[in-house]
Amino acid sequence: MKKNTNKKDHFIDISFKSETIRDPLKMDDSIAANYRGCIALNPDKDFVLNDEIGEILENSCPTHAITYQNDNELKIHLDNGKCILCGNCQAESPKLIKITNKFDLAKKRRDELIETFPSSVLFGKTYDELGQVLKNKIDKIFGRSLSIREIDAGSCNGCEIEISALNNPIYDIERYGITFVASPRHADILLVTGPASKNMERALKIAYDSTPNPKIVIAVGACACSGGIFGNNYATTGGIDSIVPVNVYIPGCPPRPQALIYGILLAISKI
Amino acid sequence: MEPTLDKFIHVLYFRGENLSYKETIQKYYSKLENFDSSIKKLENNNELHLILNDPSKLHDLCNFLKKDLDLRLLTIICCDERKLNHGFKIRHIFGSDVDDFFLFVILSMDESHQYFPSIYDVFSSSILYEREINDMFGLTAKNNPNIKPLILHDFPNDVFPLRKDFKLSDDIKRNLKQFEFIPITGEGVCEIPVGPIHAGIIEPGHFRFNVVGETIINLETRFGYAHKGIEKLAESMPLHDVVFLSERISGDESVANSVAFCQAVEKIARLAIPQKAKQIRLLFAELERIYNHFGTLNGILTDIGFPYGASRLNILKEQMIQLNEKLSGSRILFGVNQIGGVKINITDKMLMNIHSVLDNVFQNFEKILEHLRSNSSVMDRLRNTGIIEKQVARDLGLVGVSSRCIGIETDVRHIHPYGYYPLIDLKQKTPREVMEHQVELQKRIGDVLSRFMSRVEELRQSKDIIGSITTLKDDGLSVSMDDELIPYSSGLGYAESHRGETLHWIMIGEHNSIFRYKIRTASFSNWPIIEHAVLNNIVADFPVINKSFDFSYSGNDL
Repeated sequence: MKKNTNKKDHFIDISFKSETIRDPLKMDDSIAANYRGCIALNPDKDFVLNDEIGEILENSCPTHAITYQNDNELKIHLDNGKCILCGNCQAESPKLIKITNKFDLAKKRRDELIETFPSSVLFGKTYDELGQVLKNKIDKIFGRSLSIREIDAGSCNGCEIEISALNNPIYDIERYGITFVASPRHADILLVTGPASKNMERALKIAYDSTPNPKIVIAVGACACSGGIFGNNYATTGGIDSIVPVNVYIPGCPPRPQALIYGILLAISKI
Repeated sequence: MEPTLDKFIHVLYFRGENLSYKETIQKYYSKLENFDSSIKKLENNNELHLILNDPSKLHDLCNFLKKDLDLRLLTIICCDERKLNHGFKIRHIFGSDVDDFFLFVILSMDESHQYFPSIYDVFSSSILYEREINDMFGLTAKNNPNIKPLILHDFPNDVFPLRKDFKLSDDIKRNLKQFEFIPITGEGVCEIPVGPIHAGIIEPGHFRFNVVGETIINLETRFGYAHKGIEKLAESMPLHDVVFLSERISGDESVANSVAFCQAVEKIARLAIPQKAKQIRLLFAELERIYNHFGTLNGILTDIGFPYGASRLNILKEQMIQLNEKLSGSRILFGVNQIGGVKINITDKMLMNIHSVLDNVFQNFEKILEHLRSNSSVMDRLRNTGIIEKQVARDLGLVGVSSRCIGIETDVRHIHPYGYYPLIDLKQKTPREVMEHQVELQKRIGDVLSRFMSRVEELRQSKDIIGSITTLKDDGLSVSMDDELIPYSSGLGYAESHRGETLHWIMIGEHNSIFRYKIRTASFSNWPIIEHAVLNNIVADFPVINKSFDFSYSGNDL
């Protein structure tokens, strides 16, 4: 039988080899400077809060994430769990509100997502540095493997795009020992997205009950944290913590892969 | 003769921008007058509104529209106008495949009438819209063979969310009800329930398979799990904030949906937006199409178990997403549009960057494609899998890639040129390229491979469209809308998302609020085809068939 020597018939030929992604770690995963990752209360030196600005800010927010308090002292509260990063407030008051590209937004309690002016400092770790810390933790606590089950409780599929990006060759979360599994029965962590539509309420409860103990629930995205732009209406429940107990909240609309991995890190640090 | 993709490429967007709709409307109206001279006529831009006083004529009119005017049903909109003493109004919207023209047939219904005539025996696609109206308004289409709940689960029978007397935050007590799937019985017939939570990272939906051995003999779908009450919610929000809501109808169609919404409002306000804003909308719309098609192609390869190709395409997708991030500050292009223009500026330097990234990405893409084509195991799995029939596709009113894979051309950018598309000037193809293209088209039989190749075709076309923009205009990013809009005026906005035709119909209420916001995404009209495409395929091929269509669950459930 004549052997086929035509190189092109082989799928992976030698000339092609040099073009595969050799080292995903060296891919540019830096975050763009103008990426809208987080709305921060970061006032300029000459910024003075007054009634007018407070009310404008409060009204500028489509999801009511900003509240203005005028009791004894003037305060602005910003609920990152409700924020959909539209940037309206920054347009209204660029002196107080800064859009930053940071992603270390995940918090262990819902009320920690509420920021009051003044705010915290920028976070400086890259995706890979975070991943290494995470890997060390997973090695120690879970015996090198952590299983995640993703549940969509009515999200707009924006968060799904980012969660599936964790599986792509650039973020490649499996190299830290994390796998996405097909059943809640195999999972250590449930990543839940969406404002928890009422139609998914029952399915979410069943999935939660099917997950073996001990289990961790992470709410991903503004919708899962608080209902987001959809809020609490006849069809949504206003955040998944109204259905199942939540361990970590990752805000953002949608949270980028770095923010997700930071949230997962925070979740297993609890153990 | 069937309109082909090839014809599309040649005449693409060569129409002048300031089209006179009068002629088209007059052409159709004179024909309609012959049919029935008693109908009243109203015009709104490229929309012709007919008020039908006698609902019993609807059926004959639809027959006439289908057979003599060659129109297809786009959607059916119900609106609770009891406050204005109009009762319920039901608008059947028809569109042409050739002319930039929409026909609205408007029926008025008293509150006392619970039934309106069904047109399912003329336009089969009406079944879904009529089911939706039954769910949301409690008006039943007479004779519709299937009035099972579509969107709402376990909802009481006497509560209808889109009626005006229903409050958004009403807490409705739900009673668990058994959904009745069509029972399939017989020797060796098994039932496989799948969902609403799936094995992968995808949205919720339920599929009920009936199989004999490995072969699927019936599939019934049940959706609505991602229902978030978007249409009702919009009625309570300020006009400018609804743009954010429209972006979140389906996260991966954010630009297409927000463009459709903004264009509907701009149509009502008669607002002419700057040319530069139109260019930027077009750039982002095409960038969105590109990253999503890469995502779908990657999904198809994952589902046939070919991770090498999938990973390589995934890298391209991520590169496009990172480009999105650098341009707009959002990885999936949220926050690009606003009413009256765009928020994000694109400088000449950024445009250069887009071109260079695209060149690089497409160079890689063509290489991957060549390797896929020469790989028999890939082609074997794609070819003859999930075949759809042309007649079924027509009857269900498919749009986008799902219809293009069988040679039915329904591209909004072509039929209803909007934004900057009419001004795009693509270079002519050489005769050789045209010939190659013809051969390629002959191979399209409505299987997964055809859809794969249609997407490839669209990707290249998107790149050409972006490539044809070399200079950006300099007339500002947006204009502001100062005047209050006329209450109860309405307009239809449309855009072509990567899934197909997207329609947004808006009726303005008092003080710039929204009275009714009807969204019909391509997913809604396309989902029923999955029940046909999987028949006689094996269960293991379902994921790849489903992915090759790539419908949005959220865009369907709203």
